[in-house]
Amino acid sequence: MIYFDNAATTRASETTVETVSEYLREKFYNPSSLYHEGIEAKRDLDKARSTILEKLRADGKVIFTGGGTESDNIALFGSKKHKNGRIIIGGAEHAAIYASAAELKQRGYDVVLAPVDSSGKVIAERFAELLTPEVTFVSVMHVNNETGAVNDVAALAESVKRVAPKAIFHSDGVQAFGKMKLNLRSTAIDLYSLSAHKLGAPKGLGALYIRSGVSVSPIVFGGGQEGGLRSSTENTAAIAAFRKAAEERYGDLDATRAAVSAIRARIIEVLGSIEEIKILSPENGSPYILTFSSRKVRGEVMQHALEREGVLIGTGSACSSNKASERIPEALGLKDKYRDGIVRLSFFKDNTLSEADEFAGKYLKVYKELSKYGS
Amino acid sequence: MAVEYNCILIRFGEIFLKGDNRKYFESLLIKNINDALKGIKYTFVRSQGRYYIEKYLPEDKDEIISRLTKVFGIHSVSPTVKVPTDIEELGKVAAEIAPKSGKFRVTVKRADKRLGMTSTEFAASIGGKLLKASGGKLKVDLFDYDFELFVDIRENGYSYLFYDKIMGAQGLPTGCSGNGMLLLSGGIDSPVAGYVMAKRGIRLFAIHFHSFPYTSELALQKVKDLAKKLTAYCGEIKLFVVPFTEIQYAIHDKCPEEFMITIMRRFMMRIAERIARANNCGAIITGESLGQVASQTMQSIIVTNSVVTLPVYRPLIGSDKSEIIDIANKIDTFEISIRPYEDCCTVFLPKNPVIKPKLSDAEEFESRLDVDALIEKAVAETAEEIITPGQE
Repeated sequence: MIYFDNAATTRASETTVETVSEYLREKFYNPSSLYHEGIEAKRDLDKARSTILEKLRADGKVIFTGGGTESDNIALFGSKKHKNGRIIIGGAEHAAIYASAAELKQRGYDVVLAPVDSSGKVIAERFAELLTPEVTFVSVMHVNNETGAVNDVAALAESVKRVAPKAIFHSDGVQAFGKMKLNLRSTAIDLYSLSAHKLGAPKGLGALYIRSGVSVSPIVFGGGQEGGLRSSTENTAAIAAFRKAAEERYGDLDATRAAVSAIRARIIEVLGSIEEIKILSPENGSPYILTFSSRKVRGEVMQHALEREGVLIGTGSACSSNKASERIPEALGLKDKYRDGIVRLSFFKDNTLSEADEFAGKYLKVYKELSKYGS
Repeated sequence: MAVEYNCILIRFGEIFLKGDNRKYFESLLIKNINDALKGIKYTFVRSQGRYYIEKYLPEDKDEIISRLTKVFGIHSVSPTVKVPTDIEELGKVAAEIAPKSGKFRVTVKRADKRLGMTSTEFAASIGGKLLKASGGKLKVDLFDYDFELFVDIRENGYSYLFYDKIMGAQGLPTGCSGNGMLLLSGGIDSPVAGYVMAKRGIRLFAIHFHSFPYTSELALQKVKDLAKKLTAYCGEIKLFVVPFTEIQYAIHDKCPEEFMITIMRRFMMRIAERIARANNCGAIITGESLGQVASQTMQSIIVTNSVVTLPVYRPLIGSDKSEIIDIANKIDTFEISIRPYEDCCTVFLPKNPVIKPKLSDAEEFESRLDVDALIEKAVAETAEEIITPGQE
């Protein structure tokens, strides 16, 4: 089977599986316990924190959460904002940000969306036009999960701080961490969300980076774990695996990026033979994601047809009747049938060029059949 | 210690009317009751025209009642306290289970004539004890009462006390009317049509037409989930899943766009009849409601009905959508039916389907297709699955 839906989730590596098993069987102690085994578990948590901080190249702290979505929620709801101030989010953010911002709008904030180009990237000039001294919070994703477009979050953060020095700048780094070099220290980014299962660690674990001096309040209350910011016994097994996965991803980052770039390029070349297909991912986007759309074959139909051929891919729009899924195609400015035709391929370290070739063969075959009947 | 409802009384309704067939109806009903209670420990007792469920674990009581009230043929059930017949004991239990205020009457049925008291005397005695225990909050009113406490005094030395009556699904025992093949689409109407016919004693078979890759595995799962809901009422259902894409391709290629649905429906009916006959079904059941969509106009139904000779039961033909939705909510299929997946099948739907198709047109367009071969292949590739009630 070919799995090209790694932006949805990834297979765990052997080392992360072993790590999880070790922590569930042997090092299962509660990190809040005061006996030696508990204290050891706490030390392991802190080691994981420092590994992640090191990979982010950042100063400050990392708290573990229940997932990328929860990290985004803590950023939006837990950060200090001035009452009824302006909140800017990118125009093609993940639902975790979009839905949270919609809720904040209900609560009286002036929420505005920064326009994006046809690849989903925030347009810097249009973004600058939204900046006023009333801006209190900004969230722009680092790598767009639908298209792989990379936002220049460092520059956007700078521009925010020039106009509104006290505003908090958050970025959802779920599709970036482990897949590109980061250097948050040199930027004005205050908060940065991560997710473990996008890089070969278990689901149900996220993290939020918080720059030193940035004040965040909890949205979950209880036993006071994670410095009081995220009560609940820490998921030590997943956290240890997350640490391993981060080390692995950054250990072979250059080689993996080169490999997935070659896969992506190969598939782009093949798709070039089909006139009615538009590549939506920008050339300089994340090499891990390749998104395109056909006006003749609906994304979901293509997904199911390829599934029968043993190829698993992602779609942009789950179903034309599902209003929520129309938000991104609309933000990208897609017209008519292109909105339903979105297909997202996303790669990971285990994917190979021969898989790209096999995919191309099967895709062309299926496409020929399906495009005959239109949609 | 609080009194426990250690017995559940089952009353059956319409099967009383069935004269010579009563024995057959009853044996079906008993089998269906036992099937519905699979996985629970209990004893089934049949006595003097009533059924009792006894010797179950107290924590299973509500589950048993919930399952019984879905068995067709059951008129109502009552949680009952079974105690040795003793006037003091009966009064005590009555005071404990009855509501603590309001107007009431006591009705006694006495099969055991050796007790030296008449039914009326028993009723008066138990009623008196109830009044006393309530401290004046209860009042007797034989005609305008809030609840009626029943005491059933049996010859076996036991009495049954109850006042609560929970309505059952009514209808006729599943299976007593024969088999029917339900066209189950995943929409709101077809499961309701299946329920309504199962209530009249039909054992359901179901057929679903699947258009992979245009409809997804989730759409199929939805159909299985709907069938599963129906099994709570009518027992296991054999589901046939027919691959339909090739037939849709063929119609799309050879027939005018506006006739797509009409001709599709004719194929569905033919295939349903084929599989229905092979499974001893005496009818096809559909969720059609007159005028609801283009394929459910009088003319459309003439054209789609003309390809089959088995009777087609359309129990919802005269129902409004809101009436259908009420039943769908009652049988808990509505939430499943409105899952969005079916919409993904819109790929072959014409913009302007013909509302008043002519039979001769449909027949002429169809003559361009190798109907028999297409049906043969679809039937050969049909998958079967038995959907059973209860947990996976």
